[in-house]
Amino acid sequence: MFKKLLTKINDASSPETRSHFDSIFAQLEKKYLGKEDPWGLNLEKARKSLERLWPLYKHYFRVRCFGTKNIKDQPYIVVANHSGQIAIDGMLICSMFSTQVEPPRILRPMVERFFTGIPFIGSWAAEGGAVLGDRQNCINLLERGESVLVFPEGVKGIAKDSEDFYDMKKFGRGFFRIALATGIPILPIAVVGAEEFYPLVWHPLKLARKIGLPAMPLTPNLVPLPSPVDIHVGEEFVIPKNLSADAPDNELDEYINKIHHQIQTMLDHGLESRRDFVGNMITDKLTKKMNLKD
Amino acid sequence: MQAEPKSLLILGMAGGLARITSGLLLKRFPNIKIVGVDSRPMVREYPENRVTYLRMKYTRGNFEKIFRDYSFDSMLHLGRLSHAQSGPSLNLAQRLDLNLMGTKRILDLCLKYELKKVVVLSTFHVYGALKDNPTFITEDASLRASIKYPELRDVVEMDQLVSGWMWKNQSTISTVILRPCNILGPQINNTMTRYLTTSYAPVPVDYNPMLQFVHEFDMAHSLAESISHVPTGIYNVAPRDAISIREAKKLIGLPIIPVPLFLLEPIARGFNTPFWSFPHYLLDYIKYPCVIDGRSLEKELKQPFRFSIRETLNLLKDN
Repeated sequence: MFKKLLTKINDASSPETRSHFDSIFAQLEKKYLGKEDPWGLNLEKARKSLERLWPLYKHYFRVRCFGTKNIKDQPYIVVANHSGQIAIDGMLICSMFSTQVEPPRILRPMVERFFTGIPFIGSWAAEGGAVLGDRQNCINLLERGESVLVFPEGVKGIAKDSEDFYDMKKFGRGFFRIALATGIPILPIAVVGAEEFYPLVWHPLKLARKIGLPAMPLTPNLVPLPSPVDIHVGEEFVIPKNLSADAPDNELDEYINKIHHQIQTMLDHGLESRRDFVGNMITDKLTKKMNLKD
Repeated sequence: MQAEPKSLLILGMAGGLARITSGLLLKRFPNIKIVGVDSRPMVREYPENRVTYLRMKYTRGNFEKIFRDYSFDSMLHLGRLSHAQSGPSLNLAQRLDLNLMGTKRILDLCLKYELKKVVVLSTFHVYGALKDNPTFITEDASLRASIKYPELRDVVEMDQLVSGWMWKNQSTISTVILRPCNILGPQINNTMTRYLTTSYAPVPVDYNPMLQFVHEFDMAHSLAESISHVPTGIYNVAPRDAISIREAKKLIGLPIIPVPLFLLEPIARGFNTPFWSFPHYLLDYIKYPCVIDGRSLEKELKQPFRFSIRETLNLLKDN
């Protein structure tokens, strides 16, 4: 058993995986020309991070991808539900775009402002492709042919109590204004299984605010549980041509609600086909959404 | 729009950038005459008799005399006193006085003596290095340098003073403000050149921001073109790419001594040694990115930049 575990951990250094990664990064090097890009992406470091994440992606979270045929060779604003207390869902979506999508690409996740200033972590994230969640920054990236990953629920989405799992929070409007300004289509994604990384969570929000933290998840398990993750890629949402990027909020809301509804429907369908896991039993009992179904 | 300058005043003439720019202008415009002013002694004499060098402070009362004696049609202001030039001997108040009051006086003289073109060299430092900076900051971004460090007030206020003056007098004088990224080259003695070429300068272990460099020749070329045909406005000067600080150090071939950034500030405040001389208020520029968008100027230049960032760093290594 120990031998089996070691083989899985060393999966990144197996000849098949190495050759897969060689082919991916040969294509990416052609795209990025140099070793780095102006946002701080470093292909060498990105490869190292991906190699470390790969055994977790493949064997720990056992990620399955559905609907990757919907991803064309073009830039996208990838919009996903946010779950799991820490941004593991973002890392898994980005890994999928690098390893399971043709042609491979570095999806650029937009991160919170406080994140970029954290020592070590800020530069590690930037070297792996993360960028500051700023509107102009996002537009600049899209203009260069990059795809960005946005979680329009923000911190409210990721930092949910157990009872609110799989019930998406209201979307912000920034991502849609960017889409209108650039004309880049939106690619909806639903991640099922990430909520069960930490099935029992409570957020003392008042205390978190007092000490200046965006969220403060209290959970009995410090390490995320090996909940199997399914990533569902939906059909692209075409941006309306008759709407200005500076249109009033109420004109945008109709479209944003449609995207929200599309992802929520994908989530609900995804929950029906998810794999059995011990954490599911806890969330089935605690989560309002699951109880409503029963 | 002025095409060929005939009589040019250059402030900060003793610097390396002024020397290269003068060389380019003399070559490009056979009828140009240049008067260079600086409080520092001239390192090398100009072989050209079309260049006159005057050693004086531009805050002096008799400075107006040179406007009377030479009928200038254009002025190139490279005389902003930076920390690298003033050293610790001048405090912020003195730098503010020289940069702001001096510049204000010169701009008034330009107006009085009806110059046609004014080009002022500012710096990308005006935007400030902050964790929430977008990549590719455009010219209309807020100038946030002095939010954290009041020591950078002179840089920001001088830029704002000139931009206010520029828009107010745009119908009579064409003014160009250039905000270049780090200028590098064998003839440039600024903080970043010294930092990159010092063998034992510590590098942050916990941050690795992206930096931009423009070669001294490309900067001089931008100044020369601004004098002749770049229209009124504010322009960033930077190539389209960027490089991380560790990669830049590696490229120059100097050892990387990793030190956590919180330790660098006391070192920068307390010591001024040959191993480490770096103003503490510029430390954020090796902590957070301040990557600027140089596309507006690029559109106005007749020739693109000659050197990429990697070539610029390689040339620095060879020197």
